[in-house]
Amino acid sequence: MKNRFIGTCIVAAVGAIALSGIVLAEEKPIVIGFAIAQSGWFAINDEGGIKAANLAIDELNAAGGILGRKIEAIYADTKSDRAQGAKAALEVLEKGADVVFVDLDYDMGAPAALEASKAGKISFSIGAEDVKMGAQGVGPLAFTSGPAAQLEGAAMAEWGYEKKGFKTAYILTDTLIEYNKSVCYGYEFAAKNLAGAKIVGRDTFKNGDPSIVSQVTRIKNLNPAPDVIMLCTFTPGGGAAVRQIRAAGIKTPIFASIAMDGNHWMDAVPNLSDFYYPVHGSIYGDDPRTAVNDVVKKYKAKYSAEPPFSHAFLGYIATTLYAKAVERANSTDTKKVVAALESPDGIPTIVGPYAFSHDLHIQDKFSFPIMSIQDGKHAVMDSWTTKTPFGIKELLRKGE
Amino acid sequence: MMISALQILVDAISLGSLYALATLGVGLVFGVLRLANFAYGDFITVASYALIIPTAGATVEIVIGRWPWPFLVIAVAGVVVILSLASEYFVFRPLRTAKPAVLMVGSFALGYIIQNIIIVVYDGRPKAVGLWPELGEAIVLSGLRMPRLELLIIVVTLVLLGALVLFLKASPFGVQMRAASEDFRMARMLGVRANTVIGTSLVISGFLAAVVSLLFLAQVGVMSFNMGVPLMLFAFVATVIGGMGSLTGAVVGGYIVGFASILLQALLPEHLRTFRDAFVFVVVIVILVVRPQGLLVPRAARERV
Amino acid sequence: MMMARRFSIAECLARNASPIVLCGAIALIVIGTALANNAALDRTVIEALIRIVYVVGLYIFVGNSGVISFGHTAFMAIGAYATAWQDCCRTTKPLLMPALPNVLLEATVPPPLATIVSGVVASLFAAVVGVAIIRLSGISASIATFAVLAIVNVIFSNWDSLTAGTSTLVGIPNYTDHWFALLWAVIAIFAAHFYQTSRFGLSLRVSREDEVAAKASGVSIFSQRLIAFVISAFFVGVSGALYAHFLGTISVDAFYIDITLLTLAMLVVGGMNSLSGAVVGVGAISLLIEVLRQSEHGFALGSLTVSAPHGTQEIGLGVAMLIMLIFRRNGIAGNQEIGWRLSRFLAPQLQRSSKVTEDY
Repeated sequence: MKNRFIGTCIVAAVGAIALSGIVLAEEKPIVIGFAIAQSGWFAINDEGGIKAANLAIDELNAAGGILGRKIEAIYADTKSDRAQGAKAALEVLEKGADVVFVDLDYDMGAPAALEASKAGKISFSIGAEDVKMGAQGVGPLAFTSGPAAQLEGAAMAEWGYEKKGFKTAYILTDTLIEYNKSVCYGYEFAAKNLAGAKIVGRDTFKNGDPSIVSQVTRIKNLNPAPDVIMLCTFTPGGGAAVRQIRAAGIKTPIFASIAMDGNHWMDAVPNLSDFYYPVHGSIYGDDPRTAVNDVVKKYKAKYSAEPPFSHAFLGYIATTLYAKAVERANSTDTKKVVAALESPDGIPTIVGPYAFSHDLHIQDKFSFPIMSIQDGKHAVMDSWTTKTPFGIKELLRKGE
Repeated sequence: MMISALQILVDAISLGSLYALATLGVGLVFGVLRLANFAYGDFITVASYALIIPTAGATVEIVIGRWPWPFLVIAVAGVVVILSLASEYFVFRPLRTAKPAVLMVGSFALGYIIQNIIIVVYDGRPKAVGLWPELGEAIVLSGLRMPRLELLIIVVTLVLLGALVLFLKASPFGVQMRAASEDFRMARMLGVRANTVIGTSLVISGFLAAVVSLLFLAQVGVMSFNMGVPLMLFAFVATVIGGMGSLTGAVVGGYIVGFASILLQALLPEHLRTFRDAFVFVVVIVILVVRPQGLLVPRAARERV
Repeated sequence: MMMARRFSIAECLARNASPIVLCGAIALIVIGTALANNAALDRTVIEALIRIVYVVGLYIFVGNSGVISFGHTAFMAIGAYATAWQDCCRTTKPLLMPALPNVLLEATVPPPLATIVSGVVASLFAAVVGVAIIRLSGISASIATFAVLAIVNVIFSNWDSLTAGTSTLVGIPNYTDHWFALLWAVIAIFAAHFYQTSRFGLSLRVSREDEVAAKASGVSIFSQRLIAFVISAFFVGVSGALYAHFLGTISVDAFYIDITLLTLAMLVVGGMNSLSGAVVGVGAISLLIEVLRQSEHGFALGSLTVSAPHGTQEIGLGVAMLIMLIFRRNGIAGNQEIGWRLSRFLAPQLQRSSKVTEDY
């Protein structure tokens, strides 16, 4: 009696395992491995993008997944440390990641992306704006959902010229990180193509400097005053710079980069006005594209707060890009997905069509809503698509 | 052109004062007591963060930051003083008789802990508190512009310097402090309550850290988890070039660093300006090589060999 | 005749007991790692080995001279970038770092050679800088070394055509595996040992205890410190090269204050005055970091995952270091060298074995 019972159990168990094996094999999820900062000082920067990516994953799964398979997200913490980032990538790869999503900052995410490349998997940055997240740097299996940083500068130069009539500009660059230098490079490069546009002066400072009194004095001494000041920086130094510029009575309009997005620094410059910068999408719900506003609504519904900066959208977009490419390639095989990503057909996303090529795994033209701050309030005032062509040399800041 | 040169001078004085004030706090503990407190930068950071309450969201909840300035200063100073006392009890006192290197690393560890607590509690994003914006307006005298904040910093620095020098020279407490710094064991044998003396010095330097922090925040308007570190680094450098053991030297050292920074920023050609800090540190090395003991050396501190 | 030979082998072992024991222990760990075949563990061990090379290099100067250097990370940066100049990214090198001479732009130096050359470049830099600042004593010297680090940091961050500035360089060959790192750790440890038991090292140690007495005994403090400075720069430079070949990417901001504080802490917590202290310090703190990281990661307890909240690793590390310093002021190794008991056993006639001067 007992033997028969045990025997039946064994057969049943084996049968169940066999059956489930077959069933599981059909429904094996597509695994996205997030090797990103969940703790440490950098975590706050990745947070919005990761949450938005998860939003995208939920939506795709609700619609049935990709190729009939659900998408699963697994995580490993880079702890805001580069060497740990490489280990985090290894961890998610070991757990069966089909693709590795890395930090939105190229410098932080590169080691993780390298590990993914070495393992023959695609790495996707949730918003790096450096062309080296691609064939020119990490390798041919690396992609990013970000526009090149130079485009931000170019957009401001072109928009300012066309829409505001700004011809003369003063450029103030925060030399702490590459991104800032690239944005201002983009501004200058675009200005070269604009008839009559002139850079009347340049200066630099370093994020964390206790004071930019010298730089401010130089600006005040400019005669005539420039039409606009192009400020390439990010907080906290950026907030400090704007505060000191405005406190000195300089009313010149200020252009900045996407890095100045967000409410967190507003108190430093009360009633700030005449401040403009591009964004990937508006987090305030007033983007000209309904798809973007929908994402903001869904983000708010899921996380009870709006996205912290517009980079969050790039996390959503990275997921979209990968998912669509897998769909087109009809498999998660790396070569096929890469080919699908590089296809000239492009892939539609909430901000518009994205296109990669064999040489370029980053966007070299982009449509940015232009955000303006008047009286301390943010609002989308316009939209601009970059016109200046950027080649690889310019994206590496080596063009003349 | 003339105005430009004077304006550069005025700018130099304004940055110099900020550094001088920061150096005063370091100079008291490091210069006089030879206690390397590398958590000082984080005390400065804590002072600013005391103005807001931690929230998970993007918007900043300013609480103490909205109080009228006397209460604000006292409250913030209180927070840092408590932190100083806790540090003294848990870290500095147990390490009192250890080698300087051990104390140094111990204070790094303390600073590291504080910084990471801030990151966990407040998150890594910078926060803005537009403290005392009215001080940002400038007084303009015959074309020279000096923001009221800078004038305040100069005044505060000189007043505090005067008070501290008097305190060290004239009060029995000050004498005991200098005794404890020269020879801790001997001082204790002679009846100096060295632990109390050193503890009190840390408290005073904590108060100075709070003052520096608030004035710095009024200048930049944005705080971040490591905002105090550049100030502290320059303060240590300035203390050494100014002369260890001399408070006036500390202030002088701070002004030198500030002057060097502004002069270089204003006068260097554009393509060399990004290397400004390198030049500042070359100046530091030159000063150290020419006068290794610093610029102003109190008589007692000279080695007699 | 037989007696003499036996004594000399025993004596040899006894004289070098300390590095032999240290290297033996490390080698065992590496062999264990190689057998375990776990990629993450492998990387952790390699990182620790690279740090051993750095901290032992740091010890050669700081431990023997008593002068705290905040600037050794400058040598690591130089070593790392010298490596990048030699064997990085052949195709993009001319585009990213156009100021390099053609020799370097066209070359791809084999990594082992590049590592040695990088160390030599760091030493040359230390020699030049040392001539200026080694004269200084005590705290002035420490501040001067910090100034050197700051200068190197600013120059590397802004000389875009030479170093690609603040940009992250990618494409350095991944040559550092656990054997290569182990090799250099062993070389560093033996070099430090031979140095500190040599006439040069001993002269320098005398000056550490009492500068005046040393001068009176005819020791040229300046020369001895400079020698130690240059040798230590070589190994710290090599650690930079190893790091570059490990991560495959480098950027300037990785070589500044964070790594300086970490390595200094490792040296002091392990014991500033002994070579064993340097090695033990790296081992203890690296182990601590890993354990704390795992605790954040979580352990499976039945069907639950128990994990410590974010931030535990960093705060826990700080607290643990403080506790270690408070309870063992002279570091974990005290002032002793591991293995001195062994050497006393092997060759009792060497009374002045490897036990170094104690603190009062």
